[in-house]
Amino acid sequence: MSLFSRLFSLLTQAMLWLAAFISVFPFYWMIAGATNTANDITGGKFTLGTNLIPNITKFFELVDVPLVFFNSLVVAIGGTVLTLIVASLAGYGFEMFRSKTRDRIFGGLLLMLSVPFAAMMIPLFVMFSGVGLMNTYFAIIAPGIASIFMIFYFRQNTKAFPSELRDAARMDGLQEWQIFLRIYMPVMRSTYAAAMIILFMTNWNAYLWPLIVLQTNDMKTIQLVVASLATAYTPDYGLIMVANVLATLPTILVFFLLQRRFVEGMLGGVK
Amino acid sequence: MAGSRADLRANLTGWAFVAPALTLLGLFMAYPILWSLYMSFQTGKGMNFKFGGMSNIYRLTQDPVFLRALSNTMVFLVVQVPIMIVLSLLFAAALNNPKLRGRAILRTAIFLPCVTSLVAYSVLFKSMFAIDGVVNDSLLFLHIISEPIRWMIDPFWAKVLIIMAITWRWAGYNMVFYLAAMQNIDPSIYEAARIDGVPARARFFKITIPMLKPVILFTTVLSTIGTLQLFDEVNTITASQGIGGGPADSTLTLSLYIYNLTFRFMPSFGYAATVSWVIVILVGILSWVQFQVAKDR
Amino acid sequence: MSGLKLTGLRKNYGAHQVIKGVDLVVEPKEFVVFVGPSGCGKSTLLRMIAGLEEISGGDLTIGGVRMNEVDASKRGIAMVFQSYALYPHMTVRENMGFALKYAGESAANIARRVNEAAKILELHKLMDRKPRDLSGGQRQRVAIGRAIVRHPEVFLFDEPLSNLDAELRVQMRIEIARLHKELQTTIIYVTHDQVEAMTLADKIVVLREGLIEQTGAPLTLYDDPDNQFVAGFIGSPRMNFLPAVVKNGALTLPEYDGQVIPMPPVAAKLAEGAEVTVGIRPEHFRTGGSASLDLTIELIEHLGGESFAYARQGKANVITIATGTGRNWASGERIQATFDPASVLLFTAQGARVR
Ligand SMILES: Nc1ncnc2c1ncn2[C@@H]1O[C@H](COP(=O)(O)OP(=O)(O)OP(=O)(O)O)[C@@H](O)[C@H]1O
Ligand SMILES: [Mg+2]
Repeated sequence: MSLFSRLFSLLTQAMLWLAAFISVFPFYWMIAGATNTANDITGGKFTLGTNLIPNITKFFELVDVPLVFFNSLVVAIGGTVLTLIVASLAGYGFEMFRSKTRDRIFGGLLLMLSVPFAAMMIPLFVMFSGVGLMNTYFAIIAPGIASIFMIFYFRQNTKAFPSELRDAARMDGLQEWQIFLRIYMPVMRSTYAAAMIILFMTNWNAYLWPLIVLQTNDMKTIQLVVASLATAYTPDYGLIMVANVLATLPTILVFFLLQRRFVEGMLGGVK
Repeated sequence: MAGSRADLRANLTGWAFVAPALTLLGLFMAYPILWSLYMSFQTGKGMNFKFGGMSNIYRLTQDPVFLRALSNTMVFLVVQVPIMIVLSLLFAAALNNPKLRGRAILRTAIFLPCVTSLVAYSVLFKSMFAIDGVVNDSLLFLHIISEPIRWMIDPFWAKVLIIMAITWRWAGYNMVFYLAAMQNIDPSIYEAARIDGVPARARFFKITIPMLKPVILFTTVLSTIGTLQLFDEVNTITASQGIGGGPADSTLTLSLYIYNLTFRFMPSFGYAATVSWVIVILVGILSWVQFQVAKDR
Repeated sequence: MSGLKLTGLRKNYGAHQVIKGVDLVVEPKEFVVFVGPSGCGKSTLLRMIAGLEEISGGDLTIGGVRMNEVDASKRGIAMVFQSYALYPHMTVRENMGFALKYAGESAANIARRVNEAAKILELHKLMDRKPRDLSGGQRQRVAIGRAIVRHPEVFLFDEPLSNLDAELRVQMRIEIARLHKELQTTIIYVTHDQVEAMTLADKIVVLREGLIEQTGAPLTLYDDPDNQFVAGFIGSPRMNFLPAVVKNGALTLPEYDGQVIPMPPVAAKLAEGAEVTVGIRPEHFRTGGSASLDLTIELIEHLGGESFAYARQGKANVITIATGTGRNWASGERIQATFDPASVLLFTAQGARVR
């Protein structure tokens, strides 16, 4: 290797390690923050402190943590399961039963994908308040269930589902819904798994729509709690960091346990 | 016509499978989109509207807050998206080297930010970039700056902060797309190029980049849509006393303005809907432009 | 045109040695074919010559110049890959001219050389297409064209035809033979295909687990293999191997009910009781031979022009017999397979040839 290329490779390595450090530091900062006082945190103290227990105590006094966590779980799991069902049914239907009309509709869906949520936010708000469904789990979950991205993802992956399997099942006398339930779902379980992870993350991390829909404290999800603590007049960062750890922990756990699947799910749309 | 009954049956089954999704999409997507299109021609406060024709569009041109939100959003778009795409490409190219030590760790670390919630990372940035926070302290300590940067108070630095925050969260996400695409390139293509005497730089610019064009387009369009809808960060990181977009509206974005029009001030649905259609149109135009640019030269 | 010389060439992946000391001389203009079982190191050796794999030990010279550390692009070689490795975003013309651009050729020169190669390979109608719009055979020709334009001293091919269907394979094989004649370059060619090896090679190199078993002209390897491995590897269908013991001036075949065949002339020096392996090629069975085996036909395959009988005795290995155009046997029939004892090869228990 020439001197130049050695230098170059050293430089790229330095760049990567710096980027990795910058990427990971905030996580460390969060954990360190949970053990420090608010003043220490905004004062830039980045070593571990001794204020963990007081922070936790204060957080649990101020917020009904089990309830908030429960709300988040209901929203995340409910949204994930319903989306998986609806989107996989649609993806299967669009791919396995091709028709001109349905292909056109599918094209229209892809167009809708580029309409930003901001454009739908107001009508959705008016709709839900009109029928008195604001401040319900249903209102948070419902608009996201028919995720166009997920329909697209399932359709793409269905292309890899061998149609011989379907034919064989038909010869065995299975009904179409049975084929979906007994053959397609088990065969495609890794597709489901990848989608599940992505959906769980999206739903767990949802912020804007829940912020609009949820009005009372007893319905709030952990993300909303963190945000409201953080935008308070005098934010207490010690307890915010504790809240933050709780808000982030599930997704980080899921990520580390299922890293490969997560990436597969993310890439699902571009295959 | 022996097959026609079976065909009909298959067709009905097809509809049955897509029906739940189409119903929900009609209800929660198509209808709201049309409704907001209709609303953008209505004026009035609260629940009293009347047909206003083009008056909302006229109001846009006269509304300094809107124009500011628009220009802020465009600044974020024009500065942040290219920086991030280039960074992601660099990371991906560097990580694609199989001989690199610590490759898996580096990849995971750089990718990690995108699993955090927008809220969580916004809060982290807010606290790290406090006036005497850890970032200023470190920069002072390293003698990169001589006095603390007023991240949340100075309009310029507030924008910089938002751009850094978005880049932090999404660079690794885009990188994974590029890495995956690079790994799909047949390695013998690079071997052929090596034998052909193509220098490393040209291998990157003349082979890798052109082959990644579809993915780069895909991520650019996604990032453009995301940046045009920028909301969470500016509603948290640069918020003070519960109001986002500060200081002095220097990080106010279109989405945040819509939110304010709807939920913070006396609701002005018609006008807010008009602003949201500005985003739709911008997304449309920019995606079209990006497709044109990416077409075969 | 340059020749090559490999001296004690070695390649390690960590502690794992893949090429274990290869010595080989390739004459200028020679067509050399590497064969050997999968994983024996053919590709690795070729890639070491190309400069795509570092050389762990030994010397490589091309045209008399030591090349161990020389960059792949400066070795005067061109390589054609199994996957073709065409640049998918470039037209055929761009693909073929790409290397020349970086060799500092003028645009006029590039155009001339690309057109020249296109003419040789009959590609001129396809010059503005992209690889995805070409058939497999056309892609293969472009890949060869890309190599030709560089006027290399040595061509390297790694299983270039294995992605093509049988008919195209034959066509391209003939084309490559023609090219070799026309261009008069040195060629090193890796293949799994017996026919390619036998028809194209001036010299075949048989590799096994990172070592050369034997080097020689195709017919030399076929008629006069150095060991049992080469004898088994060259020739299709494979040579039959029958374990035998020297007894009372003849060979006894214990696995074939102790049938006895006369001693071939070369076996004269073998000691009584020595264990050997008798090698008989399927086509060496013919009527009128002075030795014979009692066998039962199990299956007959008619390929049209020729037929093969698979016969056995008891639990011993199946023996393949080329029956020529004689189609009068039926399966289940008991036969006497006759052959000339002088045509058989003998191998020691270690697999070395008894000469
Ligand atoms: N990068 C590597 N690291 C470790 N071992 C390797 C590497 N590349 C190849 N090998 C090993 O080296 C040996 C030779 O591989 P090579 O590809 O040269 O075989 P080959 O003769 O070309 O086989 P085939 O006919 O299947 O193409 C194999 O055992 C393979 O597993
Ligand atoms: Mg090989």
